[in-house]
Amino acid sequence: MKKKGRGLATIMFGFGYGEGFPDHSIASIEIKADQRIVIKTAAADVGQGVITTVIQIAAEILRIKPDYFEVIQGDTHTTKNSGSTSATRQTYFTGNAVKKAAEDLLANLYHYGSMEFRSNHPEISIKDGEIYLYEEPEYSISYWDLAAKLKDKGITLEAEGSFFPVTYQPDEKGQADKVYVAYTFLSQVIEVEVDTDTGIIDLLNVYTAVDLGKAINPKNVEGQIEGGTVQGLGMAVMEEQVIRNGRTLNAGMSDYLVPTSVDIPKFKHYLIEDQDSEGPFGAKGVGEPTIIAAAPALANAVYDAIGIRFYDLPLNPSKVKKALEEQDNKN
Amino acid sequence: MQIKFKVNGEAREIEVTPFHRLLDLLREDLGLTGVKEGCGKGECGACSVIMNGRLIPSCLVPAPQADGAEIITIEGLAEGNSLHPLQEAFIETGAVQCGFCIPGMIMAGKNLLDENPSPNEKEVRTALSGNICRCTGYTKIIEAVMLAADKMDSKGSGSDE
Amino acid sequence: MSDKQYSVKDYYCKHTTRCSSETIKDSKRFVGQDILKADAEDKVTGKAVYANDITFDDMLYLKVKRAVHPHAILKDIDTSKAKKVKGVVDIFTAEDIPDLRKFGLIIRDQPVLVALGKTMRYLGDALAVVAAESIEAAKKAVDLIEVKIEELEVITDPFRAMEADAVNIHPDGNILITHNLETGDVEAGFAESDIIVERKYQTQFIDQLPMQNEAGTAFYDERKGRVNIWAATQWLHDIQADVAQSLRLAKDQIRIIQPTIGGAFGKKEDVSVHIHLAIAAMRTGRPVKLTFSREESMITQSKRHPITIINKTGVSSDGYLKAWQTKFIGDTGAYASSGPAVVHKGMYHATGPYNVENIKGISHAVYTNNTYAGAMRGFGTTQGAFAYESQMDIMAHELKMDPAEFRQKNIYQLGSCTPNGQRLNHSVNAEETIKKVMELSGWKGGK
Repeated sequence: MKKKGRGLATIMFGFGYGEGFPDHSIASIEIKADQRIVIKTAAADVGQGVITTVIQIAAEILRIKPDYFEVIQGDTHTTKNSGSTSATRQTYFTGNAVKKAAEDLLANLYHYGSMEFRSNHPEISIKDGEIYLYEEPEYSISYWDLAAKLKDKGITLEAEGSFFPVTYQPDEKGQADKVYVAYTFLSQVIEVEVDTDTGIIDLLNVYTAVDLGKAINPKNVEGQIEGGTVQGLGMAVMEEQVIRNGRTLNAGMSDYLVPTSVDIPKFKHYLIEDQDSEGPFGAKGVGEPTIIAAAPALANAVYDAIGIRFYDLPLNPSKVKKALEEQDNKN
Repeated sequence: MQIKFKVNGEAREIEVTPFHRLLDLLREDLGLTGVKEGCGKGECGACSVIMNGRLIPSCLVPAPQADGAEIITIEGLAEGNSLHPLQEAFIETGAVQCGFCIPGMIMAGKNLLDENPSPNEKEVRTALSGNICRCTGYTKIIEAVMLAADKMDSKGSGSDE
Repeated sequence: MSDKQYSVKDYYCKHTTRCSSETIKDSKRFVGQDILKADAEDKVTGKAVYANDITFDDMLYLKVKRAVHPHAILKDIDTSKAKKVKGVVDIFTAEDIPDLRKFGLIIRDQPVLVALGKTMRYLGDALAVVAAESIEAAKKAVDLIEVKIEELEVITDPFRAMEADAVNIHPDGNILITHNLETGDVEAGFAESDIIVERKYQTQFIDQLPMQNEAGTAFYDERKGRVNIWAATQWLHDIQADVAQSLRLAKDQIRIIQPTIGGAFGKKEDVSVHIHLAIAAMRTGRPVKLTFSREESMITQSKRHPITIINKTGVSSDGYLKAWQTKFIGDTGAYASSGPAVVHKGMYHATGPYNVENIKGISHAVYTNNTYAGAMRGFGTTQGAFAYESQMDIMAHELKMDPAEFRQKNIYQLGSCTPNGQRLNHSVNAEETIKKVMELSGWKGGK
């Protein structure tokens, strides 16, 4: 028999290293005469898309299309420390560092632009890679020409930004004023169908609402939700590295099972944007929060479907089937 | 032993040992490093290529078996600067995260569309089920293959709905 | 050998990426738009260069001889037969590199190579490294390395590890770290409660399983006295520092260049190939490559902590949380890695996003001889959420209340206080997430 159920889980995640651990990111941006804007950051793009995120942020501040940007990524000898790609911190930390660098660079565009036009900042405008006199837009200079002129004078059109928010180490009772820079909240409803003959749990639908401040790139956020949730569902129903007497019994991908394209549910998402965090444009991190609700929401859905509460993961078919048999015997 | 075969339309002749895997031949000898190794045991699909019209895990195929074969790898899909519709669709749908599974995933998609130009979602899921992706949760990858099918359907009559 | 032959530039410019804005609807705004991924085109064409794709002429392949027992003292290691394998260029053990320092993310407790008379603590510990002209020769040589050991008790259960008569895995005992959490008066809270629910939860070892296994390529630039390493990591500068200190080199002498990364999820925070690559590059003067198999990756590199969680929760009959007591016991395996930070982060989140005035908790990260546990997406809070959100459902059931309604009664608002005493003054829309997810899913309440 197949029995349907649904489960809810609501979670929070305090992101950044927090707990008073020094946590910062440094980035720089340079406008080059050859029509390139180069962002330097050591932030590791593990696939989540921090490269694209920082381009979007810099493009927004510098008022020019993303097409001109390049990211030189990751070399201990050419990029400064951006902290790790972990703790759901890169959009918040490196995003802010790049935003600060871009703001500083924009100020420099005003500064050198106003010198070029013998005017003051309020009299000039900047848009789409051009600096021009507000009243007489025919007087203009491109970022690239300005960079070339400055280069002749030995000046590089560049800026560095860093972001270093403070947290505090909790005391012996775990108490402190600010332990994490901010919290992301997420709720998820998961619908399942349990086959009571085999113990197999079919994943039907996942509904997610995430409080993320601002999505710098909504599609990439969806990618995090879908990817994180599927990993969480793997933890919920199939994944386990079995280590017995110190030896792994399933060290390979035929025995260590993860979800495949035929296992996954359908997704619907809702992004809640209040832009009220100290992250860039109000953004909070989403990487880790997307995995956290899946296992409990799934366990709650299975309880809803068959009335059995599981206290240990994963809820693989043999465990579910065994529990169903025990339930039968009791009745 | 000396074997002759075609890779991405180009005739090649190369010396291999029986211990060589097709994967090593492609990656090491021919520099086609778009072919990835994720498990070395045919379990993850990262090393998938199309050989004689069939999708195969190149890590399980001994190199000598490539003698006389026609092989297509991820490097053979784009024509000059013009991307294959599958490649475009993967970019447009946001189906790419770390990218390590993507070459194999795209080859699996191509293999499906070669045989079935307008698959439904279930067929796409089944066709990709031998390829593991750990980043994306597959949703956008499935979407990408569906979109590519639409793109390739020049008559515009093969939409799923 | 000379810096002319191999250049950092060979694999340098490829990390530069461009992003396209062709699909932007409103050309003035870029934030909040679905800009196409800057690195996607390289990835769909197979052009993206991952560490294992980097090849130099004259390159040597490395293979690591791993521990033969999960807990044993290394009495003897004999590489003489292995050295005779055709194509083997170098084999090194701890005895060949005096003054090696231990490494580790937070606490440096992990040996680069287990020395004679020292202890192997899990099956991933390195005993020797072979450098050979081919991977086949390296593998063959590794199999011929002979090891003599004295077996110790293998401890696989953190509860056994905490018993007084258990053998110490590390000199300071088996409890790596303990944290406490206390706010309000938990006993008073339970006294006020109408329903008290106490449950024990257990999570499992999980592999992050990024599709790309650990891999790296390195060469030694003798003129600059610098080792150049291409290997994926989640934190370049931290790995650089750890490699440098372990080899007693200046930080500047280790250059780490980030190739494209094939997924991480926490697994690429720890040192994997890096130090062995640096040593081999310096010893042989040739470019070297080290790639883990999937099996080696699973056995050697970090796992998600299995955590035993005991939650005791008190609630009033009208559905308000009054007290929450919790205990987290995390199996951190053979080495600390991120363990000192993971387990208690889980505990700090033990009550979920719910207002509770009276909280008491304790957490222990405990050494065992299992593969070490470290960082994985959620960092202890993923395990904790399974426990607190199961607990919330159980209580809703006991109260005969809709689970969504019960959560909404207790959910954080602006101005709420976390278990750490952090007042939340910005961006708290936890209740909104419940309302929206109910709307999306057509949740009508009941039960």
